[in-house]
Amino acid sequence: MSHTRYRVMEAGEARRFPPEAMARIEKILTRYPTKQAALLPVLWVAQETWGWISKEAGEEVARVLDLPPSHVDGVLTFYTMYNLRPVGKHLLQVCTSISCHLNGAESLLERCGKRLGIGLEETTADGKFTLVEVECIAGCDRAPSMMVNDQYFEPMDAGKLDALLDRLSREA
Amino acid sequence: MSSTPVAPPPSAPPPAPPPKDTFTVSFDGKAIEVPKNLNLIDAAKLAGVDIPHFCYHPRLSVVGQCRMCLVEIEGMPKIQAACTVPLKDGLSVKTTTDKVKNARAATMEFLLINHPLDCPICDQAGECTLQDNSFGYGNQLSRFDEAKRQYPTFDRTMIGPHVVADMTRCIQCTRCIRFTHEIAGTSELTFLDRGGRTLVWTHEGQPLANDWSGCAADVCPVGALTTREFRFRSRVWYLQKTPSVCPGCNVGCNISIESRDDVVYRFLPRLNPTVNDYWLCDYGRFLSEPLNDRDVHKATVREGSAVREATVPAAVDRIAREIRSSLEGKGPGAVFFLGSAHLSNEENFLLRKIADHVGSPNRDAIVDKSRPRKVKSKTVWVEGDDAGANHQGAKDMGLSPGAGGHGLDAVIAGKASPEVILIADAAFSAIADDPEKVAALRRARFLAVAARNANALTRAADVVLPAASLAEKEGTFTNVQGRVQKFDRAFLPKPPIRAAWEHLLLLALALGFGDRSWTPHDLLRQIAAEVPDYAGIKEEELEGGRLLKKGDFAWAGRP
Ligand code: SF4
Ligand code: FES
Repeated sequence: MSHTRYRVMEAGEARRFPPEAMARIEKILTRYPTKQAALLPVLWVAQETWGWISKEAGEEVARVLDLPPSHVDGVLTFYTMYNLRPVGKHLLQVCTSISCHLNGAESLLERCGKRLGIGLEETTADGKFTLVEVECIAGCDRAPSMMVNDQYFEPMDAGKLDALLDRLSREA
Repeated sequence: MSSTPVAPPPSAPPPAPPPKDTFTVSFDGKAIEVPKNLNLIDAAKLAGVDIPHFCYHPRLSVVGQCRMCLVEIEGMPKIQAACTVPLKDGLSVKTTTDKVKNARAATMEFLLINHPLDCPICDQAGECTLQDNSFGYGNQLSRFDEAKRQYPTFDRTMIGPHVVADMTRCIQCTRCIRFTHEIAGTSELTFLDRGGRTLVWTHEGQPLANDWSGCAADVCPVGALTTREFRFRSRVWYLQKTPSVCPGCNVGCNISIESRDDVVYRFLPRLNPTVNDYWLCDYGRFLSEPLNDRDVHKATVREGSAVREATVPAAVDRIAREIRSSLEGKGPGAVFFLGSAHLSNEENFLLRKIADHVGSPNRDAIVDKSRPRKVKSKTVWVEGDDAGANHQGAKDMGLSPGAGGHGLDAVIAGKASPEVILIADAAFSAIADDPEKVAALRRARFLAVAARNANALTRAADVVLPAASLAEKEGTFTNVQGRVQKFDRAFLPKPPIRAAWEHLLLLALALGFGDRSWTPHDLLRQIAAEVPDYAGIKEEELEGGRLLKKGDFAWAGRP
């Protein structure tokens, strides 16, 4: 996300990894020399478990990895793909870096926002869509490129975007 | 083996020289021998060459973060960050070439892009590395026209009980982060976000509240971290620095008393690798403020039910008279002398000499126990739990009951009832504010104390002498390691206030011994001559603290 990431939002309640997440974490830990080294993948488990990473989720990660919570905050706010606030079911990530920019990313972004009635970093009232602008997602060869959650859609144009949004809206 | 010595053939090579434990390194053409384990920046310092830097700190890991320390190294095509170049024999470092000058100026220009240029309203001015390096190595003019980075809600904010953070001033050197991680071991600080938006902060709900949090402000080269207590109280260039020893506990951290117009403004740690290294605990650091408190300004003498002001010599004469009359009536056992862990070795020594002179075996010095405090020396943690800096010294000077004598416990328990009690420091213990214990001491016919602040004991006393604070006197303390450390006087006490050793010297003279010309220096010479463990101590050798030859220190890793 393009905004400052100084604060990790509070969920207001303590978080504990459910047993299945803990099992995944145990497995991840076997692949790394130290617990600290496993921080990035364990944060992914947290994000997949709760959809976003709250202050409390970060503290839970710190607890299971024996790290200072401040260190987890540092990593969380450094990388932009960890969601530090709740996002909709479909996280629309439109690349606006140079190749996509030259190929019409701005108008895609604008069309997206208009159709959904939201601005950047906002979520639709029904909780289905969140729209964000991202830096290069390595799709330059098929620009303009965008991602929905972890799936690529490229190269995009107005028609494809409309069809995509229609399909996603129809989904439950 | 043949026993016939064989002469070496004339062509044999000379024996190999013993391996050197230094490297020969040259700085700007000047070769010097430096210890192998030094960082290049410190090696340059030995050669008298200043390599400007921000992120390098002798006790923190090397991160090569700030790029201020750029130098040229012969044989390396590119300019190098000096802090990250390992020393080796024959290294030739250049710090005055155009390439180096331009690189430094460029680094300064980058650092100042986002740094406010408002030194007149910044509290760090005068001891700011950024200011100094800009003056020494930067360009005078800025080419930057755009708006500077701002950090709303992250400026001028308390991030712990003592430290105020202002992120608009941070240069991202990470010294503070490394301090909490590597020295304090508490890891409260971290970088948040990245790139031009990076800032140093804590995890929400976990403030910078470790026992040494003030050191984070010390290591910060700029005004990004300052202490609430000192912030905006004085421009640092007005402060006079006096080497001293922290009065807080028996670790005896070396400090600089920073004062101006007879007011103490702050304590800063003073480097001593064997005791406190570059650090100081918050408890000790902020004892600088109470050092200015005083409510005993004049000597007072009780006459009947009235308390009258008196001159110090008159008050001391009264003490001497009372001691003499008790000695005549009841003998030496009727007088009790109490020293203190807050008094210097010289003062406790003189008190003991007075007890010796009148022949009283009744002498003591006790100390309250405090929460254990510790500080990291260069190699180990040094721990103490006395609520006074010099209990060890008081004991060494002989302030414990002699044969047939009794100590404070016996007096308070009523097992001994001296007629005259002289307490050389009314702040010796919490006992001095305990009504029952003070009443027990008050059973004596005559009670004399020296004090800076009033308490139950001074209110009960017959004679009160106004005593100097740590900043107003000089002397030595002996710390938990058995290290004798000297502290200097920052300023003279305001008459008629005097140091305890002056009161005691007046008393000694009134009782018929001593020399009017004695100073703490003379007393230390007497200590060196008379106290076995202190034999041969010389004041000139006390820089850095001299360790006594004794067995049972509270820590094992002696340097
Ligand atoms: S706050 Fe000070 S010590 Fe910490 S990174 Fe910034 S400039 Fe360095
Ligand atoms: S001191 Fe060398 S890079 Fe900072």
